[in-house]
Amino acid sequence: MQASTRRPIPNRPNSLTRFRALVREHLRSLVFSLGKLYRHPFASTLTILMIAVALALPACMYLLLDNLQAVTEKWDDSGQITLFLNVNSSEAEIEALRTRLAELKEIENIKYVSAQQALTEFRKFSRLEYLIEGLEENPLPPTLTLIPFEQAKQAGQLDRLVQDLGTYPQVEHVQLDLQWLQRLQAITEVVHRAITILGITLAISVLLVVGNSIRLDIENRREEIEVAKLIGATNRFVRRPFLYGGMWYGLLGGSLALLLVLLVLYVIEAPAQHLIGLYNSNFELIFPDLRQGLALIATSIVLGLLGSWLAVGRHIVRIEPS
Amino acid sequence: MIELQNVTKRYPGNREALTQLDLVLERGEMAFLTGPSGAGKSTLLKLIAAIERPTRGRILINQKNITQIPKRKIPNLRRFMGIVFQDHHLLYDRSVFDNVSLPLQIAGYARAEIRRRVRAALDKVALLNREKAMPITLSGGEQQRVGIARAVVHKPAILLADEPTGNLDPGLSAEIMQLFSEFNQVGVTVLVASHDLDLISRLGKRIIRLQGGQCINGQAQLA
Repeated sequence: MQASTRRPIPNRPNSLTRFRALVREHLRSLVFSLGKLYRHPFASTLTILMIAVALALPACMYLLLDNLQAVTEKWDDSGQITLFLNVNSSEAEIEALRTRLAELKEIENIKYVSAQQALTEFRKFSRLEYLIEGLEENPLPPTLTLIPFEQAKQAGQLDRLVQDLGTYPQVEHVQLDLQWLQRLQAITEVVHRAITILGITLAISVLLVVGNSIRLDIENRREEIEVAKLIGATNRFVRRPFLYGGMWYGLLGGSLALLLVLLVLYVIEAPAQHLIGLYNSNFELIFPDLRQGLALIATSIVLGLLGSWLAVGRHIVRIEPS
Repeated sequence: MIELQNVTKRYPGNREALTQLDLVLERGEMAFLTGPSGAGKSTLLKLIAAIERPTRGRILINQKNITQIPKRKIPNLRRFMGIVFQDHHLLYDRSVFDNVSLPLQIAGYARAEIRRRVRAALDKVALLNREKAMPITLSGGEQQRVGIARAVVHKPAILLADEPTGNLDPGLSAEIMQLFSEFNQVGVTVLVASHDLDLISRLGKRIIRLQGGQCINGQAQLA
């Protein structure tokens, strides 16, 4: 009997070998759990696909929204106010108005487009000349385009300015170019919230999908767990391959989700550019950068680990040899 | 090495498997546990391996009281013993080598040491040439020997076996019992539950007879 001999038992693992064995055991669990996915390709593929779709959906929506925001931000700079003047205003009246407006502290720059210039420009840009040829007089009003200072662009201040401008006698109509942008931004904000909520919901579903797969896996290997515990395996030892299994689900599901997102963006890139082109704007579709891609995969890994952790938590402790 | 003091085990439904049992197994002793089905043989082994807990009484293993052993200390207790089952409890999705090396992996042995010890254990049960085989391709006797190799590979102080020859023919059974005797000769405390009276009486070891949850002769023979 070794214990009675009082000699140190030869080749018993010391703490260094035990640590190295632990590292090796982690690696073994890592490889073993991946091998297990490989050996059950149908079930694994199903789980991974579910994760991928559940993550790709909000990720795609988020990126599209990102793109939309990038486009509108470009237009945001304009933030200009257009005054449509009375068609009958005389040059002198307009000149007087310009001088008065130039004194306003909110205004940085004023551009005047006379009725004649407006007509010329309209001819240049549209193919409706024949319509205009048929008209006896120029229907276009002269306009003043005001560029406010950056600090005057806050919503409340601009609204007041717009109201003031409307009181000038020569001014027929005031159009704040920012208005539709603000509305668009408000809509984007709502959509952004909706996507976030959708994302959270789908993240929870990923958690449950992984948790359920791991739980089934534990059930299938109940006997193995009992044997391992009978020969002195700790709960931690038994748990490890299952946790790594969840991690693999997350990694593979997340990577596939990223591929799906890239695929969707490639598919819509050409039509999106065509659409933006119609608005006389050049625009490059924003693809997820490395950081975002890694963030998606990392999120997926965390969800996979968390899902398997939830499944493993009480379950493995409860499986005891009998 | 193994000591039971006034141990009673009652299962749910008030069935009493063991009643006020006293038993002492000295360090390095080998004993057989026998008796009819339902006499409490398996229950006794389960109590020693902390698979079950006694309803009353005290159990000491290596002078340590394990009656109320906390769950987190059970793995260490089990690494101190080797257990052989009637139905082998092998893992059929991995090779003989991997099955036998499991206790060493769990205890965190170095790889070279694992290889050396697994080879030694398989050599001992005469299965060294089958280390790469899958358990399912082995005969019943060979599978049981793999189970024994796994139970002794980490050189436990105590070897427990529950009907290890239950499914084997007499020739193979004698071989298996011979193996246990050999382990005992190098100092392992061995306790084997078996109802094969013919076989165990020929081995000249102590025989503990259980009946209705009580020891009929165990202590008498010790004296």
